[in-house]
Amino acid sequence: MNHGPLIFLGVFAALALSWFGLIFEPQLQLGTAQQATNLVNNAELYPQMRPGLARQGLEVYRSLGCAACHTEQIGQTGRIYDVVLTDAGTNRADVVAALLKLKPGMTAAEAEHLTKAQTILENVSRPVADLAVAKLEPTSAKAQVKVTPTGPDIARGWGKRRSVARDFLFDQPVMLGSQRIGPDLADVGSRRPDAHWHLAHLYNPRIVEKKSVMPPYRFLFEKRKIERAPSPEALKLNGEFAPEPGYEIVPTDQAKELAAYLLSLRADTVIFETPMTVAAAPPVSTNAPTAITNAPVAATNAPAK
Amino acid sequence: MNSEPNPKEIEPTTGSARAPVWLFVLTTLLAFWGMSFLDNHGGGFDARVYAPYKSIAEVEDDWPRASGPDPRSGRVAFGQLCAVCHMETGLGNPANNVPPLFHSEWVLAESPDRLIRIVLNGLQGPVTVDGKQFNSNGMLPWRDQEGVTDAKISDILTFLRQNKEWGHNAPPVTPEQVAKIREETKGRAIQWTIDELMKVPEK
Repeated sequence: MNHGPLIFLGVFAALALSWFGLIFEPQLQLGTAQQATNLVNNAELYPQMRPGLARQGLEVYRSLGCAACHTEQIGQTGRIYDVVLTDAGTNRADVVAALLKLKPGMTAAEAEHLTKAQTILENVSRPVADLAVAKLEPTSAKAQVKVTPTGPDIARGWGKRRSVARDFLFDQPVMLGSQRIGPDLADVGSRRPDAHWHLAHLYNPRIVEKKSVMPPYRFLFEKRKIERAPSPEALKLNGEFAPEPGYEIVPTDQAKELAAYLLSLRADTVIFETPMTVAAAPPVSTNAPTAITNAPVAATNAPAK
Repeated sequence: MNSEPNPKEIEPTTGSARAPVWLFVLTTLLAFWGMSFLDNHGGGFDARVYAPYKSIAEVEDDWPRASGPDPRSGRVAFGQLCAVCHMETGLGNPANNVPPLFHSEWVLAESPDRLIRIVLNGLQGPVTVDGKQFNSNGMLPWRDQEGVTDAKISDILTFLRQNKEWGHNAPPVTPEQVAKIREETKGRAIQWTIDELMKVPEK
């Protein structure tokens, strides 16, 4: 060991470098992260603290080891651009002429039909989409470039956009998970908005998913004899899953907390980091949040750094 | 008794050997690859950039444009219309008497009145740009070209005047300014000369 100090310095440098790269720099980047403006509903910041029951549910989720088989992170590998006609305008002939210039091989009848459909161009490059919008600008119609995130996770319907660090702002610990024996749960609250579905699924996953490999969590439920009247909270089960007559299956507090947590898992809010165009709300509901097109983008986003 | 020390009790020591050259070359190449990977995929270490985006500019690009002159669409239009002669770099083509736009005092003038006139009607004759003499063969007038709207001209000129890559930082040009000058010079069919343009007040 005649090179002891040198070896020590080498080990120290390697560890110090990884500490800077893996701990210090991420802390600089994300350590001061704050709620962001919700670009769909500007009055509300995102993310919001989970409700109390759901925060208890996070502890149940953690203690049952759900993260061993479920992730809470959606990936995104690309995005596609469509050109959408948001308003067909008043001068139909004018718009048809512009569309014919956009798609030279098209007949007038096809162009006429396009003005009724919403999407004019599908999956084009950004410059092509911009050019199309610019060409439609002088006409009475209004077109818009629609951005849609893509990727295997999004194709599976696990979410509409990727997960970003801000989604986990109030979670401690963050249950990211790494194994996908079950589906990703980052957006399960908007996929399955029904609490009873979650409770039945926890009691026995085969009730709602025939081919599920998830173990049943019956110990989160109580089998009770029906005394005077059945409990309003009892699971509505039938067939092979129903308990014998005169008995009912009632969720315990833990089951209710876990279901509340699962319902609170929603990662569909549009924030600056994840550009996407959401469909405009139907004109009937005037108070509902409308499309993001009018949102002032640059001004509303406090830098995360 | 054996006075020789037991060989097992001697502290082992390491010697030294010349490090092979290829190791240094390999390390350098790996470091270079790593740095360029970080440059291309690190998103400038901005916490708002996530894959598949590679820079904050790309993220901003995917958001709906604000109203008013848009330098990003100006860049596209510049590439389609202007770069044929003035080049993507904006350095012009001195061999063919095409003056540069890069660091041009005509582009960066406080008031865009002369610049808009040049775009609308073109320019012919001798002109000094950035200290160099050019004898313009005649720039194409864009007034009646199809698709060259006031908005597009304002996009292009705003892009030229605010192109950070060129170190430009002049006030933007609005479509209203272009429309005003288009109206003022409505009757003109021929290109401008520098003498005429110098009479336009530099507000």
